[in-house]
Amino acid sequence: MSKQDFLSQFDQITALLPLQGKARAIIHNGLEFPTIRDEYWKYTRTASITSSVFKQNEVEIQSLEPFMIPKLDAHMIVFVNGEFSKQLSSSEFPNVLKIIALSKASAIDKDLICQHLGKHIDAEKHAFNTLNTSYFKDAAYVKVEANASIEKPVCVLNISSGQKQAVNVRNLIVIGENANVNVITQFEGRGNEDAFTNSVSEVVVASGAHGGLYIVQNEGEKSSHINSTQIVQEKDSTFSVITFTKTGKLVRNNLNFSVKGEGCESNMYGVYFTRGNQHVDNHTYVDHLVPNCNSNELYKGVMADKSTGVFNGKIMVHKDAQKTNAFQSNQNVLLSDTASIYTKPELEIYADDVKCSHGCTIGQLDEEATFYLQSRGLSKDDANKMLIQAFASDIIEKIEIEPLRTSIEEFVHRQFTI
Amino acid sequence: MSDFLKIKGLKASIDGNQILKGIDLEIKPGEVHAIMGPNGSGKSTLSSVLAGREEFEVEAGEVSFLGHNLLELAPEERAREGVFLAFQYPVEIPGVSNINFLKAAINAKRKHQGLDDISAKEFMMMVKEKQALVELKQSLANRSVNEGFSGGEKKRNEIFQMAMLDPKLGILDETDSGLDIDALKIVANGVNKLKTKDNAFIVITHYQRLLNYIVPDFVHVLYNGRIVKSGDKSLALELESKGYDWIINELEHA
Repeated sequence: MSKQDFLSQFDQITALLPLQGKARAIIHNGLEFPTIRDEYWKYTRTASITSSVFKQNEVEIQSLEPFMIPKLDAHMIVFVNGEFSKQLSSSEFPNVLKIIALSKASAIDKDLICQHLGKHIDAEKHAFNTLNTSYFKDAAYVKVEANASIEKPVCVLNISSGQKQAVNVRNLIVIGENANVNVITQFEGRGNEDAFTNSVSEVVVASGAHGGLYIVQNEGEKSSHINSTQIVQEKDSTFSVITFTKTGKLVRNNLNFSVKGEGCESNMYGVYFTRGNQHVDNHTYVDHLVPNCNSNELYKGVMADKSTGVFNGKIMVHKDAQKTNAFQSNQNVLLSDTASIYTKPELEIYADDVKCSHGCTIGQLDEEATFYLQSRGLSKDDANKMLIQAFASDIIEKIEIEPLRTSIEEFVHRQFTI
Repeated sequence: MSDFLKIKGLKASIDGNQILKGIDLEIKPGEVHAIMGPNGSGKSTLSSVLAGREEFEVEAGEVSFLGHNLLELAPEERAREGVFLAFQYPVEIPGVSNINFLKAAINAKRKHQGLDDISAKEFMMMVKEKQALVELKQSLANRSVNEGFSGGEKKRNEIFQMAMLDPKLGILDETDSGLDIDALKIVANGVNKLKTKDNAFIVITHYQRLLNYIVPDFVHVLYNGRIVKSGDKSLALELESKGYDWIINELEHA
């Protein structure tokens, strides 16, 4: 399938903003989709996506229950196949919190959205970002007023019906000065036919703000998912991103932090547990532009069967970013001889007074530990599950939203029967 | 009535090297058997084979335990039937809570016995009682399995787990190694309190010292993969004063 044929499947989508027209021109003309000849995409082939026939399905979803994280009490905004569902979304929010769909935004809100939307993500060189910008049908806008502390988490739920559905999900999260919020972007895919979700999130963290973004990927078994998240941090802010890849045939996450103000803390955590023929790729990039910032990164993967994991974490410390503390670690457990992990922790440092470390490990479960647990009466299967849970526990413990933590723990417990 | 534990002609090897060269041993309920012997004689191999460690290949012999062919059971099945091995080198398992794992182990055993899961209240009472038995700090019981424990704490944790699981056959593999005299007394005291007329212990040790506190009914000397001499507790004292050479000499001149 040619690029033009692929793109033509989306061309009937109405553009909501002028920048979408500009992006369409870029993607229709010079910009090509990445191949494995691009270093950034070396281990992840996207040809299966860009040569597929996709559809825009219209479905009605009556109840959120099958998609909800059990017991989660959150401010909900829900999109089904990329379209805002008023019926499924929460209708009332505290007055310091604004959660709206771009399609329903007033002229004033639209102006506010346009101050940030597309301003932080690179939609000129990264074809999937450009594709997203060209063809998103709607966007979630979450705005937290300065000094506000939002107690309940915000959950942006995107449901894909499967059925060869392609969705370009777009989120803009703006956290005001000294404000505090946790946001979940949850992806729920259904059906056995291959589908495609291409998500772009821009997160603007003003000075002194605190926040967390939980990315929960629960796509259909044959689905592909590309996720690009750009965080921009102003001074003295703290922001954490935790990515949980549960299901999906091909998942690629691009997480970028741009740390623009001093005194920031940036945390990146991720868990990927893969099985069957799954392929999960996490690329992260932290751009330390100014002095006196900390970043912490820990990604953990357990690969079973013939599945593949990819980790590429890059920390860039620019010349002016003195007194940077940046720590990065990627740890992996392979459960079978046919599972693979490609891991590349990277540091690029141009400042001379910094503390940085990076590393990766690849191993198997500790047979001694398995035997120890067995010798106390646990079956080998239960012993190994306990060890896998323990392996992921230091990341899972970081989840501040209890129902989400419980649901991830249950997933970890269910995922592997060795 | 079936045998409690009967080992007949047990031969086992690791990586092609035969370590156990024909072990015969019979243990009845209520007994404590000490197994002594120089380094490399096969003491730890015997305990590993009884607990079901897979690296060891059983080449010949039989082990019957309460009517079961023990060698055919998986390690967890042996544990559920009442075999407990106190490890010489307990492993550290970061992230696995001591308490949660013990609860899972107890429930696995109860399920095997056709019982319901232990209630939270009953379990916590049991934890409290057994902790006191081995003077294990409460903070240790709640931590990850053996993580950051001192040598003595690890061994106490082994006895604590043994007390919680209430085995029929307890195997102590050099539990005394690395223990100071106070810790040794606490561990021994724990074992003595667990001793009943229905269970039995195999105490593997290098030194007679432990046997001052856990008094054995029988002492066996393991040498070169065989039990070469058995006696009562006075044999241990004799070994302490004379070493192993006289037994080895006796053997060579027999």
